[in-house]
Amino acid sequence: MKFNAYWLVAGLVLAAASAAVADNAASVIQARQAHYKQIGAASKGIHDELGKPAPSAAVIQGFAKTIDTLAPQIPSWFPPGSGPEAGVKTAAKPEIWTDAAGFSAVASAFATEAHHFDDVAQGGNIDAIRAEYTNLGKACFACHSKYRAKED
Amino acid sequence: MALVAFCWWSAQNDQLALHETAGEVLVGLVIFRLIWGVVGSSTARFADFLRGPRGVAAYIGELRRGRSEHAIIGHNPLGGWSVAAMLGLLVLDLGLGLFAVDVDGDQPGPFAGLVSFDQGRAIAHVHHWVFNTLLALIVLHLAAILFYAVVRRDNLVGPMLTGAKAAVREATPMKGAPLWRLPVVAAISALAAYVIAQGGKL
Repeated sequence: MKFNAYWLVAGLVLAAASAAVADNAASVIQARQAHYKQIGAASKGIHDELGKPAPSAAVIQGFAKTIDTLAPQIPSWFPPGSGPEAGVKTAAKPEIWTDAAGFSAVASAFATEAHHFDDVAQGGNIDAIRAEYTNLGKACFACHSKYRAKED
Repeated sequence: MALVAFCWWSAQNDQLALHETAGEVLVGLVIFRLIWGVVGSSTARFADFLRGPRGVAAYIGELRRGRSEHAIIGHNPLGGWSVAAMLGLLVLDLGLGLFAVDVDGDQPGPFAGLVSFDQGRAIAHVHHWVFNTLLALIVLHLAAILFYAVVRRDNLVGPMLTGAKAAVREATPMKGAPLWRLPVVAAISALAAYVIAQGGKL
Protein backbone atom coordinates (compact mmCIF):
# COMPACT_ATOMS: atom_id res chain seq x y z
CA MET A 1 0.00 0.00 0.00
CA LYS A 2 2.85 2.26 0.84
CA PHE A 3 4.11 1.72 -2.69
CA ASN A 4 0.80 2.98 -4.17
CA ALA A 5 0.81 6.05 -1.96
CA TYR A 6 4.23 6.96 -3.33
CA TRP A 7 2.93 6.64 -6.85
CA LEU A 8 -0.07 8.77 -5.98
CA VAL A 9 2.12 11.52 -4.60
CA ALA A 10 4.45 11.27 -7.60
CA GLY A 11 1.48 11.44 -9.96
CA LEU A 12 0.07 14.50 -8.24
CA VAL A 13 3.43 16.24 -8.34
CA LEU A 14 3.76 15.40 -12.02
CA ALA A 15 0.26 16.66 -12.82
CA ALA A 16 0.86 19.89 -10.94
CA ALA A 17 4.20 20.29 -12.68
CA SER A 18 2.77 19.78 -16.15
CA ALA A 19 -0.04 22.26 -15.44
CA ALA A 20 2.60 24.70 -14.33
CA VAL A 21 4.57 23.99 -17.52
CA ALA A 22 1.51 24.67 -19.72
CA ASP A 23 0.85 27.87 -17.82
CA ASN A 24 4.47 28.68 -17.98
CA ALA A 25 4.71 28.06 -21.73
CA ALA A 26 2.49 31.06 -22.43
CA SER A 27 4.62 33.38 -20.37
CA VAL A 28 7.83 31.91 -21.81
CA ILE A 29 6.54 32.57 -25.32
CA GLN A 30 5.43 36.09 -24.45
CA ALA A 31 8.79 36.90 -22.91
CA ARG A 32 10.57 35.43 -25.93
CA GLN A 33 8.54 37.56 -28.31
CA ALA A 34 9.18 40.67 -26.22
CA HIS A 35 12.92 39.97 -26.37
CA TYR A 36 12.86 39.42 -30.11
CA LYS A 37 10.96 42.67 -30.54
CA GLN A 38 13.74 44.42 -28.65
CA ILE A 39 16.26 42.96 -31.08
CA GLY A 40 14.09 43.85 -34.07
CA ALA A 41 13.55 47.39 -32.81
CA ALA A 42 17.29 47.82 -32.22
CA SER A 43 17.99 46.50 -35.73
CA LYS A 44 15.47 48.94 -37.20
CA GLY A 45 17.04 51.70 -35.12
CA ILE A 46 20.42 50.97 -36.70
CA HIS A 47 18.85 50.86 -40.17
CA ASP A 48 17.08 54.20 -39.59
CA GLU A 49 20.26 55.80 -38.26
CA LEU A 50 22.30 54.58 -41.24
CA GLY A 51 19.68 56.11 -43.54
CA LYS A 52 20.22 59.59 -42.11
CA PRO A 53 22.52 62.07 -43.88
CA ALA A 54 24.91 62.06 -40.90
CA PRO A 55 24.46 58.85 -38.88
CA SER A 56 25.46 59.02 -35.23
CA ALA A 57 27.88 56.28 -34.18
CA ALA A 58 26.83 56.73 -30.54
CA VAL A 59 23.17 55.94 -31.33
CA ILE A 60 24.19 52.83 -33.29
CA GLN A 61 26.52 51.74 -30.48
CA GLY A 62 23.61 51.74 -28.04
CA PHE A 63 21.53 49.49 -30.31
CA ALA A 64 24.52 47.24 -31.03
CA LYS A 65 25.01 46.74 -27.30
CA THR A 66 21.35 45.75 -26.89
CA ILE A 67 21.62 43.11 -29.61
CA ASP A 68 24.96 41.83 -28.35
CA THR A 69 23.53 41.45 -24.83
CA LEU A 70 20.40 39.61 -25.93
CA ALA A 71 21.84 37.38 -28.68
CA PRO A 72 23.71 34.88 -26.44
CA GLN A 73 20.51 34.38 -24.40
CA ILE A 74 18.50 33.14 -27.38
CA PRO A 75 18.87 29.35 -26.74
CA SER A 76 17.53 29.88 -23.21
CA TRP A 77 14.32 31.37 -24.63
CA PHE A 78 13.35 28.03 -26.16
CA PRO A 79 12.81 25.54 -23.32
CA PRO A 80 11.16 22.25 -24.38
CA GLY A 81 7.39 22.65 -24.55
CA SER A 82 7.45 26.25 -25.75
CA GLY A 83 6.83 25.32 -29.40
CA PRO A 84 3.55 25.15 -31.33
CA GLU A 85 2.37 22.36 -28.97
CA ALA A 86 1.99 24.95 -26.19
CA GLY A 87 -1.26 26.06 -27.81
CA VAL A 88 -0.17 29.68 -27.80
CA LYS A 89 0.38 31.55 -31.03
CA THR A 90 4.06 31.25 -31.87
CA ALA A 91 6.08 31.21 -35.07
CA ALA A 92 8.66 28.90 -33.48
CA LYS A 93 8.86 25.78 -35.62
CA PRO A 94 9.11 22.27 -34.11
CA GLU A 95 12.47 21.92 -35.90
CA ILE A 96 14.02 24.08 -33.18
CA TRP A 97 13.75 21.05 -30.92
CA THR A 98 13.84 18.18 -33.42
CA ASP A 99 16.95 19.65 -35.04
CA ALA A 100 18.46 21.02 -31.85
CA ALA A 101 22.02 20.83 -33.14
CA GLY A 102 21.20 22.84 -36.25
CA PHE A 103 19.30 25.43 -34.24
CA SER A 104 22.09 25.73 -31.73
CA ALA A 105 24.59 26.25 -34.56
CA VAL A 106 22.70 29.17 -36.18
CA ALA A 107 21.90 30.69 -32.77
CA SER A 108 25.54 30.70 -31.73
CA ALA A 109 26.57 32.00 -35.17
CA PHE A 110 24.15 34.88 -34.57
CA ALA A 111 25.60 35.57 -31.12
CA THR A 112 29.11 35.62 -32.62
CA GLU A 113 27.99 38.00 -35.38
CA ALA A 114 26.15 40.23 -32.89
CA HIS A 115 29.31 40.48 -30.83
CA HIS A 116 31.42 41.19 -33.89
CA PHE A 117 28.95 43.86 -35.02
CA ASP A 118 29.13 45.44 -31.57
CA ASP A 119 32.94 45.56 -31.88
CA VAL A 120 32.71 47.21 -35.29
CA ALA A 121 30.10 49.67 -33.97
CA GLN A 122 32.32 50.64 -31.04
CA GLY A 123 35.01 51.40 -33.66
CA GLY A 124 32.77 54.25 -34.82
CA ASN A 125 33.51 53.97 -38.57
CA ILE A 126 30.11 54.41 -40.26
CA ASP A 127 31.16 52.76 -43.54
CA ALA A 128 32.47 49.71 -41.68
CA ILE A 129 29.26 49.60 -39.60
CA ARG A 130 27.15 49.79 -42.76
CA ALA A 131 29.05 46.88 -44.32
CA GLU A 132 28.84 44.76 -41.17
CA TYR A 133 25.13 45.52 -40.72
CA THR A 134 24.42 43.51 -43.89
CA ASN A 135 26.10 40.51 -42.26
CA LEU A 136 24.07 41.00 -39.10
CA GLY A 137 20.87 40.92 -41.19
CA LYS A 138 22.05 37.71 -42.85
CA ALA A 139 22.63 36.15 -39.43
CA CYS A 140 19.02 37.00 -38.41
CA PHE A 141 17.79 35.51 -41.65
CA ALA A 142 19.88 32.33 -41.32
CA CYS A 143 17.75 31.28 -38.37
CA HIS A 144 14.42 32.84 -39.38
CA SER A 145 14.40 31.17 -42.78
CA LYS A 146 14.67 27.70 -41.21
CA TYR A 147 13.20 27.83 -37.74
CA ARG A 148 10.57 30.57 -37.92
CA ALA A 149 7.16 29.88 -39.48
CA LYS A 150 5.88 32.17 -42.20
CA GLU A 151 3.00 34.40 -41.25
CA ASP A 152 -0.22 33.30 -42.81
CA MET B 1 -0.20 42.40 -63.48
CA ALA B 2 3.05 40.49 -63.90
CA LEU B 3 4.63 42.76 -61.32
CA VAL B 4 1.82 42.11 -58.85
CA ALA B 5 2.46 38.39 -59.32
CA PHE B 6 6.16 38.99 -58.86
CA CYS B 7 5.55 40.92 -55.64
CA TRP B 8 3.65 37.96 -54.30
CA TRP B 9 6.34 35.47 -55.30
CA SER B 10 9.17 37.54 -53.86
CA ALA B 11 7.38 38.01 -50.55
CA GLN B 12 6.60 34.31 -50.28
CA ASN B 13 10.19 33.34 -50.99
CA ASP B 14 12.08 35.64 -48.65
CA GLN B 15 13.30 37.85 -51.49
CA LEU B 16 12.63 41.05 -49.60
CA ALA B 17 15.09 43.19 -51.55
CA LEU B 18 13.42 42.19 -54.84
CA HIS B 19 10.01 42.66 -53.24
CA GLU B 20 10.85 46.23 -52.33
CA THR B 21 12.20 47.06 -55.80
CA ALA B 22 9.18 45.51 -57.48
CA GLY B 23 6.88 47.50 -55.18
CA GLU B 24 8.66 50.73 -56.01
CA VAL B 25 8.41 50.12 -59.75
CA LEU B 26 4.74 49.36 -59.22
CA VAL B 27 4.37 52.71 -57.44
CA GLY B 28 5.59 54.35 -60.65
CA LEU B 29 3.14 52.38 -62.80
CA VAL B 30 0.23 53.19 -60.50
CA ILE B 31 1.08 56.91 -60.48
CA PHE B 32 1.15 56.72 -64.27
CA ARG B 33 -2.25 55.04 -64.33
CA LEU B 34 -3.74 57.61 -61.97
CA ILE B 35 -2.52 60.54 -64.08
CA TRP B 36 -3.51 58.74 -67.28
CA GLY B 37 -6.97 58.35 -65.80
CA VAL B 38 -7.30 62.13 -66.02
CA VAL B 39 -5.34 63.15 -69.12
CA GLY B 40 -5.05 59.86 -71.07
CA SER B 41 -7.03 58.28 -73.88
CA SER B 42 -10.80 58.45 -73.56
CA THR B 43 -11.31 54.84 -72.43
CA ALA B 44 -8.61 55.16 -69.76
CA ARG B 45 -10.25 58.15 -68.09
CA PHE B 46 -12.03 57.67 -64.81
CA ALA B 47 -14.74 60.09 -65.95
CA ASP B 48 -15.39 57.72 -68.86
CA PHE B 49 -15.81 54.44 -67.04
CA LEU B 50 -17.04 55.35 -63.58
CA ARG B 51 -20.81 55.58 -63.74
CA GLY B 52 -23.28 56.47 -61.03
CA PRO B 53 -25.51 53.88 -59.38
CA ARG B 54 -28.19 54.40 -62.01
CA GLY B 55 -25.78 53.66 -64.85
CA VAL B 56 -24.59 50.52 -63.10
CA ALA B 57 -28.15 49.37 -62.37
CA ALA B 58 -29.16 49.94 -65.99
CA TYR B 59 -26.20 47.89 -67.16
CA ILE B 60 -27.05 45.02 -64.80
CA GLY B 61 -30.59 45.10 -66.22
CA GLU B 62 -29.23 44.81 -69.74
CA LEU B 63 -26.98 41.91 -68.69
CA ARG B 64 -29.97 40.08 -67.21
CA ARG B 65 -31.97 40.47 -70.38
CA GLY B 66 -28.96 39.05 -72.13
CA ARG B 67 -28.46 41.84 -74.62
CA SER B 68 -26.79 45.17 -74.65
CA GLU B 69 -28.78 48.04 -76.05
CA HIS B 70 -25.66 49.94 -76.87
CA ALA B 71 -22.17 48.77 -77.46
CA ILE B 72 -19.58 49.67 -74.91
CA ILE B 73 -16.15 50.91 -75.73
CA GLY B 74 -13.83 50.66 -72.75
CA HIS B 75 -14.72 49.30 -69.34
CA ASN B 76 -18.40 48.54 -68.86
CA PRO B 77 -20.13 50.17 -65.86
CA LEU B 78 -19.58 47.12 -63.63
CA GLY B 79 -16.05 46.44 -64.78
CA GLY B 80 -15.18 50.08 -64.34
CA TRP B 81 -15.87 49.90 -60.63
CA SER B 82 -13.98 46.63 -60.47
CA VAL B 83 -10.99 48.44 -61.96
CA ALA B 84 -11.42 51.32 -59.52
CA ALA B 85 -11.61 48.94 -56.54
CA MET B 86 -8.49 47.05 -57.61
CA LEU B 87 -6.60 50.25 -58.25
CA GLY B 88 -7.71 51.66 -54.90
CA LEU B 89 -6.58 48.56 -53.01
CA LEU B 90 -3.31 48.56 -54.90
CA VAL B 91 -2.69 52.20 -53.95
CA LEU B 92 -3.55 51.39 -50.33
CA ASP B 93 -1.29 48.35 -50.26
CA LEU B 94 1.65 50.12 -51.87
CA GLY B 95 1.18 52.99 -49.42
CA LEU B 96 1.20 50.57 -46.47
CA GLY B 97 4.26 48.81 -47.87
CA LEU B 98 6.22 52.07 -47.74
CA PHE B 99 5.85 52.04 -43.94
CA ALA B 100 6.05 48.29 -43.32
CA VAL B 101 8.85 46.79 -41.23
CA ASP B 102 10.18 43.25 -41.67
CA VAL B 103 10.69 40.91 -38.75
CA ASP B 104 14.47 41.48 -38.68
CA GLY B 105 14.01 45.24 -38.86
CA ASP B 106 16.81 45.48 -41.42
CA GLN B 107 14.83 45.86 -44.65
CA PRO B 108 11.93 48.18 -43.83
CA GLY B 109 9.98 50.24 -46.36
CA PRO B 110 11.40 53.60 -47.45
CA PHE B 111 9.21 55.61 -45.05
CA ALA B 112 9.41 53.21 -42.09
CA GLY B 113 11.73 55.61 -40.29
CA LEU B 114 8.58 57.54 -39.35
CA VAL B 115 7.04 54.65 -37.40
CA SER B 116 8.21 52.44 -34.53
CA PHE B 117 9.19 48.80 -34.94
CA ASP B 118 5.89 47.58 -33.48
CA GLN B 119 3.81 49.96 -35.59
CA GLY B 120 5.77 48.94 -38.69
CA ARG B 121 5.18 45.25 -37.93
CA ALA B 122 1.45 45.89 -37.50
CA ILE B 123 1.43 47.75 -40.82
CA ALA B 124 3.23 44.81 -42.45
CA HIS B 125 0.41 42.52 -41.32
CA VAL B 126 -2.29 44.82 -42.73
CA HIS B 127 -0.18 45.11 -45.91
CA HIS B 128 -0.39 41.33 -46.16
CA TRP B 129 -4.16 41.17 -45.67
CA VAL B 130 -4.95 44.02 -48.02
CA PHE B 131 -2.96 42.13 -50.64
CA ASN B 132 -5.06 39.01 -50.11
CA THR B 133 -8.22 41.10 -50.57
CA LEU B 134 -6.76 42.55 -53.75
CA LEU B 135 -6.00 39.02 -54.93
CA ALA B 136 -9.65 38.07 -54.43
CA LEU B 137 -10.77 41.06 -56.54
CA ILE B 138 -8.30 40.15 -59.28
CA VAL B 139 -9.69 36.61 -59.38
CA LEU B 140 -13.23 38.02 -59.59
CA HIS B 141 -12.20 40.37 -62.42
CA LEU B 142 -10.58 37.53 -64.38
CA ALA B 143 -13.60 35.31 -63.78
CA ALA B 144 -15.84 38.06 -65.20
CA ILE B 145 -13.62 38.34 -68.28
CA LEU B 146 -13.90 34.58 -68.73
CA PHE B 147 -17.70 34.84 -68.35
CA TYR B 148 -17.86 37.44 -71.13
CA ALA B 149 -15.62 35.33 -73.35
CA VAL B 150 -17.48 32.03 -72.86
CA VAL B 151 -21.10 32.96 -72.21
CA ARG B 152 -21.39 36.23 -74.09
CA ARG B 153 -18.77 35.52 -76.75
CA ASP B 154 -17.25 38.90 -76.16
CA ASN B 155 -13.46 39.11 -76.21
CA LEU B 156 -12.53 41.88 -73.79
CA VAL B 157 -8.79 41.28 -73.71
CA GLY B 158 -7.98 42.02 -77.36
CA PRO B 159 -9.38 45.57 -77.27
CA MET B 160 -7.59 46.19 -73.97
CA LEU B 161 -4.25 45.49 -75.60
CA THR B 162 -4.81 47.11 -78.98
CA GLY B 163 -7.39 49.76 -78.14
CA ALA B 164 -9.38 48.72 -81.20
CA LYS B 165 -12.81 47.13 -81.14
CA ALA B 166 -14.31 45.94 -84.39
CA ALA B 167 -17.77 46.57 -85.83
CA VAL B 168 -19.60 48.45 -83.17
CA ARG B 169 -22.29 50.71 -84.45
CA GLU B 170 -23.40 53.91 -82.84
CA ALA B 171 -20.51 53.80 -80.39
CA THR B 172 -17.99 56.54 -80.01
CA PRO B 173 -14.59 55.10 -80.78
CA MET B 174 -11.71 55.59 -78.43
CA LYS B 175 -10.06 58.96 -78.65
CA GLY B 176 -6.36 58.57 -78.12
CA ALA B 177 -4.53 61.18 -76.11
CA PRO B 178 -1.91 63.28 -77.89
CA LEU B 179 1.18 61.13 -78.15
CA TRP B 180 3.46 63.63 -76.40
CA ARG B 181 1.57 63.10 -73.17
CA LEU B 182 2.79 59.50 -72.92
CA PRO B 183 6.51 60.21 -72.31
CA VAL B 184 5.70 63.27 -70.20
CA VAL B 185 3.40 61.38 -67.83
CA ALA B 186 5.81 58.41 -67.80
CA ALA B 187 8.70 60.69 -66.81
CA ILE B 188 6.69 62.38 -64.05
CA SER B 189 5.64 58.96 -62.69
CA ALA B 190 9.17 57.55 -62.80
CA LEU B 191 10.56 60.60 -61.00
CA ALA B 192 7.83 60.46 -58.35
CA ALA B 193 8.43 56.73 -57.78
CA TYR B 194 12.17 57.34 -57.48
CA VAL B 195 11.69 60.06 -54.87
CA ILE B 196 9.29 57.80 -52.92
CA ALA B 197 11.75 54.89 -53.11
CA GLN B 198 14.43 57.15 -51.64
CA GLY B 199 12.20 57.87 -48.66
CA GLY B 200 11.20 61.32 -49.90
CA LYS B 201 14.70 62.58 -50.60
CA LEU B 202 15.96 63.57 -54.05
